[in-house]
Amino acid sequence: MLFFLAQRWLMSRVESPALETAATVFVAIFVQALPFLVLGVLLSAAIAAFVPQSFWARALPSNRALAVPVAGAAGAVLPGCECASVPVAGALMTRGVTPAAALAFLLSAPAINPIVLISTFVAFPGEPEMVLARLVASFATAVIVGWLWLRFGRPEWLRIPRRTHLEGATPWHTFRLTATHDFLHAGGFLVVGALAAAAMNVLIPPSWLDALADNPLLAILGMALLAVVLSICSEADAFVAASFTSFSLTARLTFLVVGPMVDLKLMSMQSGFFGRAFAARFAPTTFVVAVGMSILVGWWLLT
Amino acid sequence: MIREVQGIILMLVGIVILRISWGTAYLDYVKESMRPWLLASGAILVILGVLALVDALRRGGVSEAEAQRSDEEIVFDGVEGDHDHAHGGPRAAWLLVLPILVVFVVAPPALGAWAAARDTTNSVAAQQALPPLPPGDPVPVFLSDYVTRAVWEQGVSLEGRTVELTGFAVSTDDGGWQLARMQIQCCAADAFASKVQPVGLPPDFADVPENTWLTVTGQWVPGDAAADGSPGATPSSSAIPLVQVGSIAVVPEPVNPYD
Repeated sequence: MLFFLAQRWLMSRVESPALETAATVFVAIFVQALPFLVLGVLLSAAIAAFVPQSFWARALPSNRALAVPVAGAAGAVLPGCECASVPVAGALMTRGVTPAAALAFLLSAPAINPIVLISTFVAFPGEPEMVLARLVASFATAVIVGWLWLRFGRPEWLRIPRRTHLEGATPWHTFRLTATHDFLHAGGFLVVGALAAAAMNVLIPPSWLDALADNPLLAILGMALLAVVLSICSEADAFVAASFTSFSLTARLTFLVVGPMVDLKLMSMQSGFFGRAFAARFAPTTFVVAVGMSILVGWWLLT
Repeated sequence: MIREVQGIILMLVGIVILRISWGTAYLDYVKESMRPWLLASGAILVILGVLALVDALRRGGVSEAEAQRSDEEIVFDGVEGDHDHAHGGPRAAWLLVLPILVVFVVAPPALGAWAAARDTTNSVAAQQALPPLPPGDPVPVFLSDYVTRAVWEQGVSLEGRTVELTGFAVSTDDGGWQLARMQIQCCAADAFASKVQPVGLPPDFADVPENTWLTVTGQWVPGDAAADGSPGATPSSSAIPLVQVGSIAVVPEPVNPYD
């Protein structure tokens, strides 16, 4: 009874259609991301609990510069979106994978997995070269950012999630503890990101976009920033990009390359997992490299 | 965060997801194809939550020394101040209370007239020739499909057919209204609106409150409401095609509010 009264009262408060739309978008992003997040934390828990540490030493080349592209290419097999890859990358680092390689995986996994590439193919029926351009530009960005981290990154910027307190009595217990911890942690930061994206979705007038489309360079930057703000799941972003018909193919490619690697919900989740000092450096670097690679690959493949 | 609360939050998130995907409420936010994944992840969260709660209650019986030891183990994890693991749980988890509350208390509805009115792109160019409409008189057609056929194929596949369009009313600046429906690719964050302008409305339907769901049965006529109704205008993504109203009725909101 009290519950229904509270509901009635709140409903009358939330009469503003803009606020209502923002609430819908917030819940939509959260609900859409949740199954992928659960998949991601189950995977990261499985890595923590069942895969022996020595496996990674054997699976990845001992040369760290070589491990980066190998880990980036391994991203192609995780059929998830960006929410899943954050906890998985965290688990990889904890298990001794060199951070640069884990970061290349973090960037490439949501961008070049088969589901994402197929949906890109379906969304751009007349332009199969879009699939290739997305694959090349995303992979190149992931590898370059990985190498940049290897060359310039300082260990103190990155907080590798340490978790001796998550080691249970049995592997199964460790699995549960890790899954619970990672979900609560990443889920909380997903909420922040979804809130920011919902607010932006409602606050930015769509007419701004039309004004940007006419200038080639502004169009590319506009699409890149829109990808950051909208925080759309990488499995759906191709359809959204395809609909911006007034923008050049290169601008739309930028949207597809930036979105899975840098967006509001990801930045929030990354700062939660790896620390603010990390996110403050990693996200802008990735953004710049992703935009640069998109322009380069777009000029090469899409004109 | 104490461990009991962790378990409860996990359970509640799981219950929220199960509750909306058990019925049809999830269709206000995501596509129908998400349902099995939502049910599975909701169930997994409830199980993890129950196990965490059982753990926590059992742990209530451990000795003081043991609890002390496990807290010490945890402290080094907080290299930065924002990562507080005291009492064994991430502080960020509290934020999960927000979506739980929003879904249970506010239950935001599907996107409606406000979102539709601000979307200035009405359709995307058809990438390939569209197949003829299925048989039926009238034939139910999605609004987005109607708009694409009318704008980008100049109504060729609509000519001579009676169509049935379902959508909600969006008020226009001139005091009239248009029939609109949102389309989603993945979730409501990526929604687009499709709009048509009904012409020849019966007097009782000249003015309809926003967000009223209606079914219009009628026929395609050339013209573009966005460009002063000049027939034969060049196809454009902002063109709003017309429909000559044969009959019109107020209907309940469809189970799936999106195209």
